[in-house]
Amino acid sequence: MRALATAFFVLFVVAVTWPGYVPFNRIAPSVLGLPLSFAWPAIWVVLGCVVLFFLDRSETRAEDREEDG
Amino acid sequence: MEQWQVIVAVFAVYLAVTLGIGLAAGRRASNSVTGYVAGDREFGLLVMYFVTGASVFSAFAFLGGPGWAYSRGAAGFYILSYGVLGMAPWYFMGPKTARLGRRFGYVTQAQLLVGRFPSRFLSVLVAALTVLAFIPYVTLQMRGAGIVIEAVTDGHISLAAGAALAYGIVIIYVLSAGVAAVGWTNTFQGIFMLAIAWTLGIYLPFKLYGGVGPMFEQIAEARPELLRAPGLTAAGDPWSWGGYSSAILVSAVGLQMWPHLFMKAFTAKDDRTLRRTVVLFPTFQLFLIPVFLIGFAGVLFPDTPPEPDFILPFLILRTDLPALVVGLFCAGALSASMSTGDALLHASASVAVEDGIRPFATGLNDHQQRLLMRGLVVVVGAIAYVFAITRAESLVVLLLTAYGIIAQLAPPIVAALYWRRATTAGAIAGLLAGSATALFFYFNASLRPFDVHEGVLGLLVHVPVLVLVSLLTPAQSDVHSGVFVSGQAQATKPDAGGSATHA
Repeated sequence: MRALATAFFVLFVVAVTWPGYVPFNRIAPSVLGLPLSFAWPAIWVVLGCVVLFFLDRSETRAEDREEDG
Repeated sequence: MEQWQVIVAVFAVYLAVTLGIGLAAGRRASNSVTGYVAGDREFGLLVMYFVTGASVFSAFAFLGGPGWAYSRGAAGFYILSYGVLGMAPWYFMGPKTARLGRRFGYVTQAQLLVGRFPSRFLSVLVAALTVLAFIPYVTLQMRGAGIVIEAVTDGHISLAAGAALAYGIVIIYVLSAGVAAVGWTNTFQGIFMLAIAWTLGIYLPFKLYGGVGPMFEQIAEARPELLRAPGLTAAGDPWSWGGYSSAILVSAVGLQMWPHLFMKAFTAKDDRTLRRTVVLFPTFQLFLIPVFLIGFAGVLFPDTPPEPDFILPFLILRTDLPALVVGLFCAGALSASMSTGDALLHASASVAVEDGIRPFATGLNDHQQRLLMRGLVVVVGAIAYVFAITRAESLVVLLLTAYGIIAQLAPPIVAALYWRRATTAGAIAGLLAGSATALFFYFNASLRPFDVHEGVLGLLVHVPVLVLVSLLTPAQSDVHSGVFVSGQAQATKPDAGGSATHA
């Protein structure tokens, strides 16, 4: 899970900088009213939230199991 | 009563409430240095969350963010991108740092570094770099406070007088109560800021353009260059990808190195609280979306503010909102500045005394240290104030400059926690080489390859120097480096935090 999360964040870096950002750096289509160039980094931030949430849930559960057992 | 007078009255009530919360918190904190610096290590999740969020989001986000979206368009999206990237590594490093802090009683990051790399010179070097990085950061907050006050009082109170007033209050509660005050006032201010950003970010596009979608359609028609990364420079020319990408990198690397954030690892109640703060942090990041919407709402507005950073107060004063509401909105922006400014002043004084002075003056008692810290709060505040009223830099540029310096603390911290072979000589050589490189390119901006940020260029020199010098000098003992890298028990050093079970 830690390795997966790390891989995700490496991908995140590539996606929001040059050159990973370039293909998505367009005004159309709009996402919820935002131009794609604005929505793109916002989508990665939301994904970042989700990944961190699941990472923490899996680690917390693993800890609880250790304490119980 | 005129509109600006009503707004000033709202401000006065707001500032009084903030001061009251700060002073009330101070009475409950213990009177020791640990109490002043680390808040007695007992912050729960709610307070930790808002302390972190409110101290990251400041006048920089609240005024600088809209200022950049307004004047430089998509260039501002870098701010949206780096926060989560900067915070994520903390999920792993934070608990590790916290365990070492509890065990050896560390309250600053230089103490952690010197624990691994014993050297008083290193301690002073870190303290000096930290205070140097804090000055543009505090300057930014003061300018922010001054901008809000000047704008809402319609120039009746100038930027200089407004900054002095707001920071007078900040200094009073930082002096009297330390980090406990910072925690409780930030909780209050954090909640306030979040509510206001979303309300305003949705309201303004609807009010001025009939919605978020229609607003961007009109901007795409009139100023399409604003909507494509990397946006524009301050002069209105296209910005470079090198500049945009390296702004994200340097900010992501530097984010957790800010002592006021790093030291949160030493104030958290337990590891779970600390990790949860990291998980919840991106929700604060999303608050930049309405912040940019506010800035974009100004793009096609017929009037122009005196400086781009004035755009937020400028716009809401020109809507027909009631004075009470405008007053509350502006108090939110002011609180963004103050809630970060207090943490910055507190952290810079703590670092200067703990790491810069105490290693050489071991005879200082608790009382003298607290006095020294209070003196330094005033000194740092005064220096920043001079810059705030004399240098009209954009708020975002001030923070980017600070990041170039603070990011240099990342390689030695990572090496201390993860690399057994790192040595004291390596850490010092890397820090000196990296900082010198960053400073050189700061003053010779035209020589920067691909317009890459000076902080990233500094890191490109820093890391190889750290690695090479470490490999060329004798390794530390396995027992010593093992304590930091893998957290094993060490027989010779007394256990300061009573948490040997974590080993």
